[in-house]
Amino acid sequence: MKEMTVRVSRFDPENDTEPHFETYTVSVHEGARVLHVLHVIHDTLDPTLSYRYCCEAGQCGSCSLRVNGEPVLACMQEAKDGMTIEPLNLPVVRDLTVEMEDVLARLAPFPAREEAGLPTKEEIEAMKPLRDCIECLSCVSECPAVDVASFLGPTAMCQEMRIALDPRADQNRIRNAIEEGLFTCTTCQRCRDVCPKNIEIPGKAIEKLREIANRQGLTLPRHQDVARLVEDTGRSVDRTKPTFLEQVPEVIEPDGPVRGEVGFFVGCMYNGRLPETALDMIEVMKRNGIRLIIPHDQVCCGSPLIRTGQTRILPALKKRNIEAFTRRGITTVMTMCAGCGSTLKNDYDTPYTIKDVTEILTEYGIEPPAALDIRATYHDPCHLLRGQGISREPRELLKTVVREFVEMPSRCCGAGGGVRSGLPDQAAALGRQRDDEIKKTHADVVVTVCPFCEFHIADSTDRPVKNICTLLLEGYREKDRKKGVKKESE
Amino acid sequence: MHADDVVNCHVLVIGSGGAGARAALEASRYGKTVLVSRTLTGKGGCTTMAEGGYNAVLRKLDSCPMHVEDTLRGGAFLNDPALVDVLVHEAPDRMADLIAWGAVFDVTDDREIAQRPFGGQRFPRTCYAGDRTGHEMMATLVERLRGSGVRQLQDTAVIELLKDGNRVTGAAMLDRDGDLIICYADATVLATGGGTRIYDISTNCAAGTGDGFALGYRAGAELIDMEMVQFHPTGAVYPYDARGRLITEAVRGEGGLLLNRDGERFMTRYDPERMELSTRDVVSRSIATEILEGRGTPHGGVYLDVSHLPARTIEERLPVMLEQFLAFGVDIRKEPMEVAPTAHHIMGGLRITPEGQTTLPGLFACGEVTGGVHGANRLGGNALADTQVFGKRAGESAGKEAVRGGTVARSRIEELRAHLDGYYGGTTPPAEIVGRLRLAMWDGAGIFRTEKSLVETGRVIDELAALTPRAAGSQNLLWCRTVENMIVLSRLIVKGALLRPESRGAHVRKDILQDWTPDRSPYMHTYQSLSRAGIETREVQV
Repeated sequence: MKEMTVRVSRFDPENDTEPHFETYTVSVHEGARVLHVLHVIHDTLDPTLSYRYCCEAGQCGSCSLRVNGEPVLACMQEAKDGMTIEPLNLPVVRDLTVEMEDVLARLAPFPAREEAGLPTKEEIEAMKPLRDCIECLSCVSECPAVDVASFLGPTAMCQEMRIALDPRADQNRIRNAIEEGLFTCTTCQRCRDVCPKNIEIPGKAIEKLREIANRQGLTLPRHQDVARLVEDTGRSVDRTKPTFLEQVPEVIEPDGPVRGEVGFFVGCMYNGRLPETALDMIEVMKRNGIRLIIPHDQVCCGSPLIRTGQTRILPALKKRNIEAFTRRGITTVMTMCAGCGSTLKNDYDTPYTIKDVTEILTEYGIEPPAALDIRATYHDPCHLLRGQGISREPRELLKTVVREFVEMPSRCCGAGGGVRSGLPDQAAALGRQRDDEIKKTHADVVVTVCPFCEFHIADSTDRPVKNICTLLLEGYREKDRKKGVKKESE
Repeated sequence: MHADDVVNCHVLVIGSGGAGARAALEASRYGKTVLVSRTLTGKGGCTTMAEGGYNAVLRKLDSCPMHVEDTLRGGAFLNDPALVDVLVHEAPDRMADLIAWGAVFDVTDDREIAQRPFGGQRFPRTCYAGDRTGHEMMATLVERLRGSGVRQLQDTAVIELLKDGNRVTGAAMLDRDGDLIICYADATVLATGGGTRIYDISTNCAAGTGDGFALGYRAGAELIDMEMVQFHPTGAVYPYDARGRLITEAVRGEGGLLLNRDGERFMTRYDPERMELSTRDVVSRSIATEILEGRGTPHGGVYLDVSHLPARTIEERLPVMLEQFLAFGVDIRKEPMEVAPTAHHIMGGLRITPEGQTTLPGLFACGEVTGGVHGANRLGGNALADTQVFGKRAGESAGKEAVRGGTVARSRIEELRAHLDGYYGGTTPPAEIVGRLRLAMWDGAGIFRTEKSLVETGRVIDELAALTPRAAGSQNLLWCRTVENMIVLSRLIVKGALLRPESRGAHVRKDILQDWTPDRSPYMHTYQSLSRAGIETREVQV
C-alpha cells in the first residue's frame, strides 16, 4: 500500500456557483489507477463524490477526465501522488461527472442499405481504426474549434468518416458532416494526442471527409481560390511584393568555414508574405557556418490543399518538390514553416531527410547571441509540436537570446486547417484566446516558428510576434553592437 | 425528494447492454418503447467489454446440430434444449442483422465473416471484431437506436418492478439525482445482465451487480440454476485493483499456452485432448488447482503466453489485450501474462420460455439475467449470440402484448419511498457491506464449494442483510439499493448451491461423491421463487 495526496475538483450544482478543489490523502495499492483513488475517496472519505465509470477496462469510455490538465481514462491511467483531477471541458453535472449525452445523442446513426452484403476485407480494414472510438469525448473536451465554433467535435467526424467508408451506407452524409462543422477543424491534432485509442482523426477522418466534400463541389469558396492559385502559380499566396526566391541566389555560402550544408524549402508564406523573416534566417545560417542550397524550382508543398481536401494536383507538386532537391544531391532539407515541415515529414515519402530550422540549429550548435533585455513567451505551432513532435529545440534556442522566458499554455492559434482563410471569424476568436494567454505572461515579445501562426497571432495581439531566427539575429546584432561599443571605448 | 415523474409506454426495457438494446429495437416496432440505462447507452453493461466473439453456424462444414451438441455438452446437459435450439438456429440470422446494420466484423479474403476457434467447440465458429467484438456490437446497436424511436432514459436505474395483481405493469426508478420516476408499461423486458460483482474477483463492469435477479425475485418470478456461476479461467492478477480483469479466451483461441511456475504446460494433466481450449469450467479448475498446489506464479496466477506467436498476429487479433497489458507495463509480444480464474458469468437466472416470457405475466427477460440457455457452463461466444437471439425474441414478445394501461397501488409507491428514506438513517457505509460480501462469496461460494463453506457464507450474508446501507445524499440512494440487490443475488447463489447435491459444470461440491457423469445425472434445474424452492429430478435409465 502507498499513500498519496490528490486534488479533486468538486461541484455541487445546488450549492456551488463554480467548482472548487478539495484535497484528499488516501492509501492505495501498488499500481492503482486514478479510478481506484476515486473509489477510495468515495468509499471511505466522501460518498457524495460523483464520477462516471463502468467497465474499468478502457473499453466503455465513461471515466474520461483530466489529470493535471490532460484527458485520460481514469481506469487506465496510473495514479500519482500530487495529481490534480478535474472533469473534462464539458458542462459539469456534478464533481467529475460531465454531460456527455448532448454530444452522443447527436452522433450520426448508420444509414443502412438493405441487402448490402458484407464489405470486403480491405473495406473492413479501412473502417477498423475509426471503429476503435469509445466515444469518451476526450477529443471534444480539448478541441479548440468546439470551443469557439459550431462544431460537434472530432468524435462526430470519426463517425461520419466511418459511415463514408462503409459500402453498406445508402446515404451521402457529406452535407451533414459540413453542418456538424467539418470546416471548423484547424487540424491542430490535439484530438489525436489525447485519444486513448490513438485515432488519427484529422488525417484519417477530417481531411478525408474534406476530400469527399471537394469531389462534390462543396469546398469553401476561399479554399477553392487557394487551390486555383496553387494550380496556376505553384504558390498558395499571390505575389504582392518581391518574393524570397526572387531575392536570393541558389547557393548561399556561410561567412566562415562551412560546417554543414542543407537544402532550404522556403514554403509559400515565407516566400511571398514574410520574406524578411526568411532573410533573417539566412543571416543566422551564414553566421553559423551552414551552407544553404535553395532550388528555385521548388513549389508549394501542398499543405493548404491536403488540409482542405483538395488533393487532385498533389502528386504533381510532390514530384516537383522531390525532384528539385534530389537533382541537386541534397540529403537534408530544412524547413522553417511548421506546416511545410509537417507535410514533408508526414505526407511525403522523400528520399532525403526533413528537419526543422530549430533542429538544424540545435544539432550544429550555434554561436551564443547576446541576451536581449526582454521577457519572451513561446507559442507552440501545432504543426511543429504535434505535427513534428518538436518542443524542446525552440525553447532552448530562445532561452539563449532573452533575459527571461515565460511559458504559456500550448493551444492552437486558429490559423491552421484553412480556418483563417475559410472561417476568419472563428480564427479571430481563437486568436483572441491566444492574446488572453499572452497578456497573462506580460511578455514583451511572442516567439514562434510558423509563418501562419506568426501572421495570425500578430493580428490578434499588440505584442510583437517574431520568428526565432529574427530574434537570434537581433541577439547577434546586439552582441556586435556591444562589441563595437567596447572597441570604441578601448 | 421531488414529486415523482411518470413515464408511460408500451414496452419498458430495463438494461442497455446487448440484450436490452436489441430488445428495445425490436419492441419499438410495436409501440412506444422506453429503454432505461443505468449509465449511458453503449457505455454500460458487459457486452461492450466482451472481447472474443459471437458463435454462429455460418459454414457448410459446420452444422446446427453440432453447435447444439457442443453447447449441451459444454453446459453439462443442464441446458434447456428448447432454448439451445433457438440460440443455435437464430444466431446466424441475428449476426446477419448486425451486419446489415453496419457492424464491422472481421472478414476473410473470400469476403466471409471470419471465425476463430473457441473452447469446447469442434468447429471454429466464433465470429469476431478483433478482440473488441462486444464493443463493435454495442456501437452498431447504439447507431441503430439513434435512428429509432426508442426513448432512452439515461443515468437512470430501476429499483423495483411494479405490479397490478400478479402482472408486472412497470417499474420504479431513480434518476441520477436520486429522484423517483414511475414508469407504466404494457410489457416489461428485464435485460439487466449479470452480477458477478458480488465476488471479490470479477470480470464484470460496475453495473454487474445482479439487480435484475433481485428485481425479478422480489416481484415473484422464478429463477433457475442460480448456483451456476462461471469462473473465467483467465483474469488479470496484477495490479491488485485490476485483478479479475478479463483476458479474452481469444488469447487461447489464437494459440496462447498455459504454463505453470515450472514452465509445464499443465493442461496435459487435466484435458490432454482439448488442452487450453477445453471448456471454461475445466480450465478454471485446472488453473485453480495448480495455484492451490503451489505451482503458481509470484502474483498468484499461472502464465498465459503468446510470445511465440508472430508480433503481427498479436497486434491484429488481440489489439486490446496488447494495449491493456502495455498500460500495465507488460509487452505480451515478448513476455507472458499472469492469469487466474475470475468470476465472469451467471448461467442461472429467470426461467423463460423460448419467447422470453418469465413466470410472471407482463414480464419478459433476455440475456444474462435469464437461466437455462447455457446450463451449467457457458461456451465462450455463446453469450453475445444469446443477447441478440433472445433480445429480439423478448422484445418482439413484449411488443406483441396487448395495450392495457396498468395501474399501481399508490401505497406501494409510498412504501418504496419510505424504504429509500430509510437509507438516510442507515447503519453502515455501503462499501463496507459490499467488501465483506465479496470476500465471503469468493471464499465460500467460489470455484470449489462444500456444504460447510456455503452455510458459513449464508451466515455472513444474513449478518450483512441485517445492516442498513447508509446514504450520505440523494445520489447515494441507488448505491444503497444496489447493495440490497447484491445480497439478494448472493443468497440465491448460495441457496442454489446447497440445493444441488452434485458437482456439475461450474458448480463443484467437494463434499459430495457422485457416480454419475453429467449426462446421467438424476438432477435438473434448481428453482427458487418467493413461494417455492427445490431441485427438479428426472428418471435416468441405467
